[in-house]
Amino acid sequence: MPRGMQKSRTLRRVFRKTPGSRNVLHYKKRKPSKAHCSSCGAELKGVSRERPYRTNNMSKTEKRPERPYGGVLCSRCTRKTIKENIKKEKT
Amino acid sequence: MIEIGRLCVKLAGRDAGKRCLIIDILDDNHVMIDGQTRRRKCNIDHLEILDKTAKIKKDASNTDVVAALKKIGIEVQSKEKKEKKEGKKRPRKAKKKKEKPEKKGKTSRKEEKAKKKEQKQAKKQKTEKKSS
Repeated sequence: MPRGMQKSRTLRRVFRKTPGSRNVLHYKKRKPSKAHCSSCGAELKGVSRERPYRTNNMSKTEKRPERPYGGVLCSRCTRKTIKENIKKEKT
Repeated sequence: MIEIGRLCVKLAGRDAGKRCLIIDILDDNHVMIDGQTRRRKCNIDHLEILDKTAKIKKDASNTDVVAALKKIGIEVQSKEKKEKKEGKKRPRKAKKKKEKPEKKGKTSRKEEKAKKKEQKQAKKQKTEKKSS
């Protein structure tokens, strides 16, 4: 009998090929949800979607875009905020 | 609007939010920029054009651009590499040297070397005296 954990779909299933060319089922935890822009709610691109044990080993540039507000705002909203900041400086 | 010496703000990429001057106009869509940003080719769509201009020549050098920006009131950080600060070093644990009990009768190596040197010098002096 499979274990209860293996019957439910809380864990995702991954097929792994063994060195002996056997296909084996592995059970892994699901990936976290996608990152979203904090102002417009659009999905952020270039933000890594992994469990912390993987992201901890990643470099900073792999985790989020390298521009200001990278990983927080989408590219459209960064442009907007930068333009707004310029207008604020003038006044 | 787009002319050499026009002040702009970069909107895209890792230089986003930084000020720059247009140095050269390459075609309808592309210009060369320099200033707080890196000196690079740039799409006009990635620039927000401001109302100020500086008097610079076409393909002005980086020092000229920095001086022109300073007149407008924008300071550019120098790109020279900073010297490494010496952080607080933790005092290393000194290993305890095992004190070996000196054996009687045997002289240490240092003493032997010193003795040999003295003997050599004495020989040299003797030979010099003979030759003279």
